[in-house]
Amino acid sequence: MSIGLFGTLGMAARALQTQQAGIEVAGHNLSNVNNPAYARQRLSVATSTPVVTDVGMQGTGVQATGVQQIRSQLLDDQIQSETSVSSYWNAQQQALQFAQAGLGEQIDSTTTSDGSSTQQGIAQSLSDLFSEFQNLSTQPTSLAERQVLLMKAATLADQFNQVSQRLDALRASLNSSVQTDVTNANQLLGDIANLNNQIITSEISSGLTANDLRDLRQQKIEDLAQLTNVSVTQQANGGVNLTIGGVLMVSDQNVLDTLQADDAGGGQWLVKAATAGTTLALTGGSIAGEIDARDGPVATLAAGVDQLASLLIGKVNSIHADGYSLTGSSHEDFFTGADAHTIGVNPVLLNNPALVQASGTDGAVGDNAVALALAQLGTQAQTALNNQTFSQAYNQSVAAIGQSLASANSQVSNQQTVQQMLEQQRSSVSGVSIDEEMASLSIFQHAYEASARLMSVVDQMLDALVNIQ
Amino acid sequence: MIRVASNMIPDALINSVTRLNLRQQQLQNQAATGLRVQNPEDDPTAMRRVLDLQAEASSIAQYEQNIAQLKDQSTASYNAMQSLKTISDRAGEIATQADSTKSSQDLATYAAEVTQLIQEAAQIMNSKYQGDYLFGGTLSDRAPFVLATNADGQVTSVTYEGNTSVAQAEIAEGVTLSAVPVGANSSGTGPQGLITDSRTGADFFNHLISLQNNLLAGNTAAINGTDLPALQNDEENIISQIATTGALQARMDAANNIAQNRAASLDKLISSQADADMATVMVQLSETQTAYQAALASGAKLLNLSLLDYLT
Repeated sequence: MSIGLFGTLGMAARALQTQQAGIEVAGHNLSNVNNPAYARQRLSVATSTPVVTDVGMQGTGVQATGVQQIRSQLLDDQIQSETSVSSYWNAQQQALQFAQAGLGEQIDSTTTSDGSSTQQGIAQSLSDLFSEFQNLSTQPTSLAERQVLLMKAATLADQFNQVSQRLDALRASLNSSVQTDVTNANQLLGDIANLNNQIITSEISSGLTANDLRDLRQQKIEDLAQLTNVSVTQQANGGVNLTIGGVLMVSDQNVLDTLQADDAGGGQWLVKAATAGTTLALTGGSIAGEIDARDGPVATLAAGVDQLASLLIGKVNSIHADGYSLTGSSHEDFFTGADAHTIGVNPVLLNNPALVQASGTDGAVGDNAVALALAQLGTQAQTALNNQTFSQAYNQSVAAIGQSLASANSQVSNQQTVQQMLEQQRSSVSGVSIDEEMASLSIFQHAYEASARLMSVVDQMLDALVNIQ
Repeated sequence: MIRVASNMIPDALINSVTRLNLRQQQLQNQAATGLRVQNPEDDPTAMRRVLDLQAEASSIAQYEQNIAQLKDQSTASYNAMQSLKTISDRAGEIATQADSTKSSQDLATYAAEVTQLIQEAAQIMNSKYQGDYLFGGTLSDRAPFVLATNADGQVTSVTYEGNTSVAQAEIAEGVTLSAVPVGANSSGTGPQGLITDSRTGADFFNHLISLQNNLLAGNTAAINGTDLPALQNDEENIISQIATTGALQARMDAANNIAQNRAASLDKLISSQADADMATVMVQLSETQTAYQAALASGAKLLNLSLLDYLT
């Protein structure tokens, strides 16, 4: 006894179905060739159950046993954690670029040492101010020099105001980015819990792997990793648990906790767990990058500029107060305000430049003791500025923000290399190859033709058998 | 064998083209500006040095300006001193010629000339520079010498209204000097007095007035015995001031030279910190361009190809 003609006809029918499934899987792969979240799928086939016959175990053809997804969990995990690092440095780089641009210090090729430079930052304006004090010391009775001096001082004050306003604006925009990112992260937590639910349900009921849903969930996890570092634990039921900053946020289909942006005081927005109430110490992702840039280099820069301005106001005013103006008046402040936000030139002097107090002796308008002392302030090392002059202290702030940005730049570029390498590796494992799919299309097509021929041969044989006369 | 998925080639191509584009843009910027460092991020250390050097260059440029201003002032005072010396010379001649052989008529004529000389000297000593009286010390807003005359037009006194302090300006870090002397200094300390100085015994105006009065009185013995040596002493004081001014100007010239040299070397230092090496930049730019073209050309060829082209 053998499997018989009808058995063979069934074998041909199963083969046709299997080859058709192969074509369908290849088509699915080809359709998703440009879907970055997609991992290629493969039809697994096996011989169908053999039959015991007189001649021994006889095969009954082929059957499709499943559609497998080709994914490497190791690569997925690495990409997810490197995404957090990349996105942390990207956020820092962006914030620091704004800070650097806010200072407006750029070396210009037309800058020359004779002071006729075209760059106009605080560095240049500080030099200009002390130069004008020098000019006043050589012509202590000149109204024209007083006017120029007041104009330069006003320019410097404006620049201090502008820089501190820009840094304030940067701080505000970093805070609002933190809030937006937190909202997006919470949305993603919800999405992932929802996908967990679908995956668990469909895998339990069918016993099969929900390939496409898993692709989608992996993409959401990587989106979340851009915002914050997240640790992912795979569960036996197909779900994943998400932990952020030590707090379990998602378990299977349940969102246990969410992120909350929280003003810790003074516009210093931090992130805490909404239910657990603990402040989360995030180490990766754009939220942490924004917070660290804000509280690190940007805050240091703003404090440095403020300290410089307030020291300048104090020193200039204390020298200027003891002087005498062209009209003999005294004890008028030169600068008003207390820091970089509020510094301004005393409007009394702006209205009447003759009131600038250059003389150190009452009645002696040709005396320049005060103007000279103010001029010499420019080259004096200040104890409060770590024994640097005003210019040097400011230049150090510029160099410090440059240093932070340069290191963020190199981190970003290193991360790009790492990330690209990992993405290429993942593509190599999971990416769709058109050539491969075209080849399998041909293979399945030919196999389909062959199976169809088998059917037609069996059909002819049955025909011959039935029509025996 | 590493499997190559369809999107790996375009992804890698985009990555390398982006990187090469960025590099090209950076190099092009360096070539166009001639600068290796433009923003703090490019090289923070160099940026710091350049900013410090620029601040120093700016203060040195200011010292040069101060020196120019002081020199102008000192030249004005030098010219005044020269004129004063001419007056002193003439007064000395008159004092020498007014001996007992001269008639009282002649002496009266001399006296009238001396009166004019006093007036002229007072005018010179009251000269202004940029609106300020040069020789009044720091009381530069009022005429330092005030003349009093009697009904006959003769000068009875010249009083000094200025003070004995001078304004000093910086010609280099921590180095200050004053370009002009004061008109009179009877205190025995501080800046030298041009007309009156208690240390040298100079008192030009009073000695001229005494000469004028002695000429009018016909007292030739007093002229020869007292006025002539006193006036010679005054002239020596003026000449010594002229010499001092010359020395001051030489000192300012020297300070100016030092400042200029320092400015030139600062320029070089700034340039060495910030400037791009053009030859290197151009070579790198053309290398990058070649790589860019190669990436584009090879990419364009590969992107068009797949098994699809050969299956019918």
